[in-house]
Amino acid sequence: MSKKVIIRRLKTGVPGLDNLLGGGLPELSFNLIAGTPGSGKTTLAQQIMFSQANLDNRALFFTVLGEPALKMLRYQQQFPFFDINKVNDSIRFVNLAADLLEGDFDRVLSRIAEEVKDYAPSLVFVDSFRSVVQSANQKEQGAAELQRFIQQLVMQMTSWQATTFLIGEYLMSESDSSPVFTVADSILWLSQNLHRNSMIRKMQVVKMRGQSQSPGLHTFRISDQGIQVFPRAIIEQGTTVESATKVATGEERVPMGIPGLDEMLGGGLPVRYSLLVVGPSGSGKTILATEFLAEGVRRGEPGVIAAFEKSPNQLLGNKLSALIKAGQVGVINTRSLDLSIDETLHNLIEMINRMQAKRVVIDSLSGFELALAPEFSEDFRGSLYRMVAELTGMGVTILMTSELEDRYTDLRFSPFGSAFLADAIIVLRYIEIESQFKRVFSVVKVRGSQHSKDIRLFDVTDQGIIIGETLSEYSGIMSGRPTVSDGNQGGQTARGSNEHKWQ
Amino acid sequence: MVRRRIISDLMAQHTDKIADASIDLWEQMATQIILIVGEGGFNSLYARSLFLTRSTFPWLPNGSVPAQANQRFSELKISFEEQPPLQANKANSQLLITFTDILASLIGEHLTIRILRSAWGNDALDRFGKEFKNE
Repeated sequence: MSKKVIIRRLKTGVPGLDNLLGGGLPELSFNLIAGTPGSGKTTLAQQIMFSQANLDNRALFFTVLGEPALKMLRYQQQFPFFDINKVNDSIRFVNLAADLLEGDFDRVLSRIAEEVKDYAPSLVFVDSFRSVVQSANQKEQGAAELQRFIQQLVMQMTSWQATTFLIGEYLMSESDSSPVFTVADSILWLSQNLHRNSMIRKMQVVKMRGQSQSPGLHTFRISDQGIQVFPRAIIEQGTTVESATKVATGEERVPMGIPGLDEMLGGGLPVRYSLLVVGPSGSGKTILATEFLAEGVRRGEPGVIAAFEKSPNQLLGNKLSALIKAGQVGVINTRSLDLSIDETLHNLIEMINRMQAKRVVIDSLSGFELALAPEFSEDFRGSLYRMVAELTGMGVTILMTSELEDRYTDLRFSPFGSAFLADAIIVLRYIEIESQFKRVFSVVKVRGSQHSKDIRLFDVTDQGIIIGETLSEYSGIMSGRPTVSDGNQGGQTARGSNEHKWQ
Repeated sequence: MVRRRIISDLMAQHTDKIADASIDLWEQMATQIILIVGEGGFNSLYARSLFLTRSTFPWLPNGSVPAQANQRFSELKISFEEQPPLQANKANSQLLITFTDILASLIGEHLTIRILRSAWGNDALDRFGKEFKNE
């Protein structure tokens, strides 16, 4: 019986990256970190290096040409992961420029081999490898020499039991031509995507021998702390099936906190449902959402609100601010205009887990769409779909608000065509009665459950939302200009000109 | 500043063979620095330091003649040998201090000290600068 070799996975120490790599980097692998200048390659490499390096696990960082070593040391030490105490201890920086300029590949190779033999590192970095390649192209036997050089380098590093990282500035188009790409066990591609006015950083694991990685492009950020990766939320099989068969069993329902509303929903909002509250500006969506969160807190359920419209001080009502101050409701409040869905989702999930939240409010989808970087807002529906599925899969109940301009001609529920994403929908409208604006609302949909079909008046008072009577003596309410209907079923007394689409 | 004091103290312990002692310090330090930043990096820092220190000690070489690796400090050595020991001593202190000042301004005090440790040995530095024991 033969035992397979166990390939240990090295933790990269970069938040989110191990997730992307399917657990970590394979030991003794030969990895290429590629991307355009400024995409974060050196920072990524060093963040991994400082995280892994210790006295038993030393690292050699070869600098060649490209960023001068002095400059690199100056800037990179600004990051908290750059532990100066490790320099010349478990980490050694070596410059190869002279060997490259004066000699050929054999010289560079023997210099690397010499240093590796001398220091016995477990990690070897070459930054940048591109400069080595470029000097090859200038020589006659260039390409063939390079091929041979790389083969030998791989062989040597592997026999010396080092996990190797080559860093290089490459364009996507070059990935076909350079032998480095074929030889590498894994390729991490970093890019800066400019779309209209915002820049999004993305990482792709183009290749990873020996284990499955997360496909596609994943956003990441470089901050003062270094790099943080936000792996794309990928819906697992289980979750989609679940939501399709998600039906209110009537067992677990979540009270809304507004007297009368639970009955209209058929007993409360079913747990793990997503509720879309749609209506024009000022119609009371945020207040409804606040009551939803407050009710949760009353029952010992922490909540989280992703506030994309109002700034923290404007968060409507002392009620919500009080809940937030008391730490019972967490706020995700990002005003940046280059948000990615993955980052938002990551922050939301992190907060939900930390607070053990059961109720989540997204206020509003319209604001969220504006805050997203253009390339995400263009696929807003898809992104939203992923996000909602991921969140409800965690067991939370979501309330999303959406602005819909009041149109008195048709009956739309969502400007994005995303109404289908929601398990339940409540629509708020203004109507004009006796030359006053009044608010009405209706429960349009609760998947798999009975619910009230009434259209009711409601009012926003100091005590919160008060649901009023149905307007049974009117018809054409949803058109915004209701008219008093006569006794006849479906009949209509015309008063002045009126259009009605809804009866 | 502790680093400067260490350098002055290191130099002060030599009363004769100043030239040899000075060049030893330079060779040791150069090895470490060239390892990290390459010949080019070292040479520019060295030339700059000479330039600045010459304002006080004009007899120092101007470092304009590009030296080969094993001849790197031969000019400097000769200039020290031609001076009375005390002068050479002061000059080298100043030169080393200037050099490390520039290095520290670029890559920080902490990293500079670590490089000096690797160059001159922990004992040498610890003897004069107890504060660095734990760095």
